[in-house]
Amino acid sequence: MSGQRVDAKVVMLGKEYVGKTSLVERYVHNRFLVGPYQNTIGAAFVAKVIPVGGRTVTLGIWDTAGSERYEAMSRIYYRGAKGAIVCYDLTDSSSFQRAKFWVNELQNFEENCRIYLCGTKSDLLDEDRRKRGIDFHDAQDYADEIKAELFETSSKTGQNVDELFKKVAEDYVQFTAFQEMTEDKGVDLSQKTTPTYFYSCCHH
Amino acid sequence: MAADVHKKGGDVPNGSLVPKDGRHAERSESPTPGLAQGTEPGAGQEGAMFVHAQSYEDLTSTENPDATVQIPGGREDAQSDQTKIEEISKDFSKLSTQLTGIALDLEEEMRQSKEDKQDLSPKASRRDSVLSGKEDEGVSMDAWHMHQKHVFVLSEAGKPVYSRYGSEEALSSTMGVMMALVSFVEVQKNAIRSIHADGYKVVFVRRSPLVLVAVARTRQSEQEIAQELLYIYYQILSLLTLTQLNRIFQQKQNYDLRRLLAGSERITDNLLDLMARDPSFLMGAARCLPMASGVRDIVSTCLQQAKAKSLVFAILLAKNQLVSLVRKKDQFLHHIDLHLLFNLISSSSSFREGEAWTPICLPKFNSSGFFSAHISYLEQDTDLCLLLISTDREDFFTVSDCKRKFQDRLKKRGVYQALLEALHTPFYSVSQVGIPFLRHFIYKSKSSGLFTSPEIEAPYITEKEKERLLGLYQYLHSRAHNSSRPLMNIYYTGSHENLLAWVTNAFELYVCFSPLGTKAAAVSAVHKLMRWIRKEEDRLFILTPQTY
Ligand SMILES: Nc1nc2c(ncn2[C@@H]2O[C@H](COP(=O)(O)OP(=O)(O)OP(=O)(O)O)[C@@H](O)[C@H]2O)c(=O)[nH]1
Ligand SMILES: [Mg+2]
Repeated sequence: MSGQRVDAKVVMLGKEYVGKTSLVERYVHNRFLVGPYQNTIGAAFVAKVIPVGGRTVTLGIWDTAGSERYEAMSRIYYRGAKGAIVCYDLTDSSSFQRAKFWVNELQNFEENCRIYLCGTKSDLLDEDRRKRGIDFHDAQDYADEIKAELFETSSKTGQNVDELFKKVAEDYVQFTAFQEMTEDKGVDLSQKTTPTYFYSCCHH
Repeated sequence: MAADVHKKGGDVPNGSLVPKDGRHAERSESPTPGLAQGTEPGAGQEGAMFVHAQSYEDLTSTENPDATVQIPGGREDAQSDQTKIEEISKDFSKLSTQLTGIALDLEEEMRQSKEDKQDLSPKASRRDSVLSGKEDEGVSMDAWHMHQKHVFVLSEAGKPVYSRYGSEEALSSTMGVMMALVSFVEVQKNAIRSIHADGYKVVFVRRSPLVLVAVARTRQSEQEIAQELLYIYYQILSLLTLTQLNRIFQQKQNYDLRRLLAGSERITDNLLDLMARDPSFLMGAARCLPMASGVRDIVSTCLQQAKAKSLVFAILLAKNQLVSLVRKKDQFLHHIDLHLLFNLISSSSSFREGEAWTPICLPKFNSSGFFSAHISYLEQDTDLCLLLISTDREDFFTVSDCKRKFQDRLKKRGVYQALLEALHTPFYSVSQVGIPFLRHFIYKSKSSGLFTSPEIEAPYITEKEKERLLGLYQYLHSRAHNSSRPLMNIYYTGSHENLLAWVTNAFELYVCFSPLGTKAAAVSAVHKLMRWIRKEEDRLFILTPQTY
């Protein structure tokens, strides 16, 4: 078991170069690294504590590599995830196709994982609207169809990044509260010593 | 997917190569060429950390990787060789129609070069035009020619896999010609062939299902260039495993491997750059970060104590120098695998973010499966990088805990600060030895697989001059290891420097002197140098490696 307690496992998925690492960098360290693109190798894990309501939630974030080379082992990174942030580059329509691949994968293997669709690099559209590769309404329709939330973010400006992760954490809290409620039904109510909320461990 | 590596007790890969334990031998004050292996300066007291390897072992071995690897579900074992060859020659006939006259001319030249190894300079201009591809495909011949060494990787079907300079796409016609060349030189698998012409060498290494080609203007020997190509081959295996590579090409002969290797070009580029600069590769050994042995021993103990069942190797390094290495008892790391790990870490800044957990194959240890590597820096802004290699890909949190335990112990035992201080002086000055006309040296202890070398100082200041010095060492090394006529002692006098090489069963020493000294002075200086290394050995080497 980990010395570092993690409440909710969150996995970043998406084609290479869409900006998953930049999103995590912005969220965790509040910075945007310029310089040559450094593709992720395998996956990187980082934990971040986030206050939600009156409590805190520790998100264990798995930033996976988009390279096809790692596709076959991606399951070890998303297994048991409470949330998946499936990223696509707003300026690259092929990355949206790839996002759909990941959504299918999650629907098939992790039905309890909530999906957050994330269109990245929105600052590039602010510069030049013609750069948009995926129509907002098409993305929204798809998100509705798969019951996912849709975000458009920029790691460069920070736009919508905190909101995205905050939503992930809030949904997690709400979901576990709901789960406790339903679990409590029919359970001996004298068992007051059970934890008030649910810990789950990333690797189970 | 290739299976994970699961090592059982006693299942030692390359078992026959496990070094002999020479720890009981006497350590002499004044080392001589008669030193037995295991008693030379730098020899570990607890036996070696690495698989004991010969120089160029891969080149002389007749092992056929295809034959030794079991491919699950593979049906075409015996036939596959034959069908592959047929397949390839079919591809060639297609190629040669594209290339028309060129291929035929080359065939002529190749025949000639194979027969009498003549200098082919009169025809070299012809080959230039062939090797540099078609200019109208975007390859500028001038820029292309400026480089010292070109490296190409192709599949046996002639598909480009990697090219050091320029896009593979633009060079694909060149690749086709390369492939045609390979078909002429091809005799057997794992064969190495080369063409020498007008100031450059073309070296081919075939490791089914890949073919590697170098066009070099360096002073390196054919063997050394081939060795570098093998490193590139192993680099590719470390990302994919040989099992997966074989399976891919069995399913689809003309698979475009670049899809799977996307994003790894930087790692391969970095490896080629590193090999041109870092003597570790030439020496087939690792360099240690110099530090007080008391500090290193505590660090090693802390690392050893932060263990987990699935851990096989734990490596602490700083900028391609080894600080400590702990291995599972009976499991030895091969220096090639270690170099690949060093290269991986130095080629990417992505490991500075969080804790990386990545599948990695150590091809010399076991080319059929992946380990899981936990890679992280001890702190955001240090160069101390910890590498924990586990057999269990589900074990991330346990392994991550080992890191935390290791860090806690370091601090509790008060060595963390000393460790950081050692990082400030990663190199020592040759002036510490106290020999006036000594400029630089490389000393390798064969039994430990470790080497030491001072900082390269004036007059080798620019990158170019540093590479020239390394080139001289390369030259001496190739003379000393020439498979047909190996030499134990070499004294080379040049106008810019004098060099001495001394190779015994126990150690290798390469020394650079200013050109003013005499041979007699050099010989006595070498004895003094050996005494100095003996005196400093516990700072320069890892003498007490730990095991789990
Ligand atoms: N303008 C702009 N560029 C961005 C943004 N996010 C990422 N980038 C750039 O896009 C490139 C890829 O970003 P990464 O975050 O490394 O991409 P990744 O998805 O982690 O890629 P892999 O690790 O290979 O899967 C980098 O050059 C970033 O600087 C953004 O919000 N705006
Ligand atoms: Mg990334």
